[in-house]
Amino acid sequence: MALVEVIDVVKEYRKGEHVIRPLDEVSLEIERHEFVSLMGASGSGKSTLLNLIAGIDRPTSGEVIVNGTAITRLSRRQLAHWRAAHIGYVFQTHNLIPVLTAFENVELPLLLLPFSRSERRKRVALALEAVGLSDRADHYPRQLSGGQEQRVGIARAIVADPLVVVADEPTGDLDAESTEQILELLMRLNTELGTTFLVVTHDPRTAGIAQRRLRLEKGKLLDRDCPAHVATITEDE
Amino acid sequence: MLRLLPWEYGVRNLFRRPGRTALTVAALTLVLLMVFAALSFVRGLNLSLAISADPRVVLIHSVGGGENLESSSIPARSAALVAASIPGIQRRYGQVYVSPELHLTTRVYVDGDEQGALGVIRGVAPTALLVRQQVQLIEGRWPQLGEVAVGRLAAVKLGRPDEALAVGQTVMIEGRRWRVSGRFAAVGSALEAEIWGPLDEFQQALKRQDVSLLAVTLGPGGEFGEIDEFCKERLDLELQATPETFFYGNLQAHYRPIRLLIWSIVALVSGAGVLAGLNTMYANVLGRVRELAMLQTLGYSRTALVLSVIQEGMLIAAISALMAAAMALWAIDGTAIRFTMGAFVLRMDSVAVATGCAVALALGVVGALTPALRVMRMPIGESLKAI
Repeated sequence: MALVEVIDVVKEYRKGEHVIRPLDEVSLEIERHEFVSLMGASGSGKSTLLNLIAGIDRPTSGEVIVNGTAITRLSRRQLAHWRAAHIGYVFQTHNLIPVLTAFENVELPLLLLPFSRSERRKRVALALEAVGLSDRADHYPRQLSGGQEQRVGIARAIVADPLVVVADEPTGDLDAESTEQILELLMRLNTELGTTFLVVTHDPRTAGIAQRRLRLEKGKLLDRDCPAHVATITEDE
Repeated sequence: MLRLLPWEYGVRNLFRRPGRTALTVAALTLVLLMVFAALSFVRGLNLSLAISADPRVVLIHSVGGGENLESSSIPARSAALVAASIPGIQRRYGQVYVSPELHLTTRVYVDGDEQGALGVIRGVAPTALLVRQQVQLIEGRWPQLGEVAVGRLAAVKLGRPDEALAVGQTVMIEGRRWRVSGRFAAVGSALEAEIWGPLDEFQQALKRQDVSLLAVTLGPGGEFGEIDEFCKERLDLELQATPETFFYGNLQAHYRPIRLLIWSIVALVSGAGVLAGLNTMYANVLGRVRELAMLQTLGYSRTALVLSVIQEGMLIAAISALMAAAMALWAIDGTAIRFTMGAFVLRMDSVAVATGCAVALALGVVGALTPALRVMRMPIGESLKAI
């Protein structure tokens, strides 16, 4: 069974008398440890699909099942708890809280889960080490570069060991050098830790690192299945 | 289980825009200072009237004179008749606790003052100190011939500085000059605004042979009914008895419109405080729409975020309340002001402080709740794209 199953999902918005349908009977499966990119023109529904899989939006019809849980049937409260436990979200702009240190920002998702203080500290330290920022734990976001801030954002996304990490234009606000660093980091997390990624991007370079590349056009999903690299992690590992 | 955001998040958010926070704290402090001023006025007035009433004291006045003792007039011989006829009155070492008093408002002139001002005077016999047990001489001595003792708020009632009624000064009352022999306190009661002199001399000066009232202390087994019965039996004297607590209770009711006015002012001023809080919290929250959406994406519930925003509002309100309370204790507490019945002291007591702080925290909650709820109603996906 696939880790993520999107079944005949339709999403409609009403704008005055007009009905806009950014997703039109979209179906998709993402396997565990897979790295999937999703491209498409602006307004093609990429972020909408990402948000449905991340459980921060609901489809008009259809079903989204993650690891056997039909998240479209969860209440708002249950969905919030489910997100905390199972989803890592990397934003285009890092969205760090400026009044909290890097350590405290990364710790935020763990405060929602039943971890002891020492367990939280251990996990945050490991996450910061994974993104190469152990020495910046006590820095505030304003004391970090754009690339470092995004790496803290990634550490926050992986710290609770989620089932899937979704990333919405993770390199959209970065310069070329920082983009390279972030892409290397995402690939390393996928290959070394087996993290499942769904990345929405405009950038062909970012899409290029994915095992499977998808494209959304006018609400329809086109599977372009062009593996750039193959994850070596298997489910048994 | 509801998981809340870290406490530090709310605290540190206050320092994101220190200028705006400082301005809000300043505005809210000013608002709360006015609230504390109003509360200390109400507390001072209430306490002054409550303290003035001794539950063991009964006032005997002319029929229908209970509303305004100054218009009451009863025969001077009533004092002896009451003392001899009612066994329930307190007695000790041959002294019967009956205090005949001449009580009125008249113009009082201090030295160098040609206009004078309305003061409350009370002609008393030596038994007054037995019945009026709140009264304590704090300076000088009890008045002899041609002398008066002044309450410590008497100068305030006249609108004159304390020095004008210092011991040794003279005042002109009813065409006669009186020397101030002493000053007295009365635990904050209305008596502190009065000028007391010998009953017989005041009667001479006022060309009156009657008295306004008798103040009587009930003994251990005494009951109000005995005095009431006596008054109803002696129709020739046209007397009426009123428990002192009842008299001052009526006065409190009389001042209810003033208290309502004060509370209306508190409500209006608080409304201004809510607007100041709303303005700041709206700006604070609207500037963080994306951040709050991000926290929801991580899994924080709307309730947790609303509580965090309320925490910020309450922190601002609590800081303002502390500053306003400190300023009020320093500048308002103990300030004497005059009113129709006499004068009283503004009191920032524990009730005023607690009520003011409760108002402040309520302002913090109301000011933060509306903007927080509005932002939380926005879809997360839409909020994540907010600029």
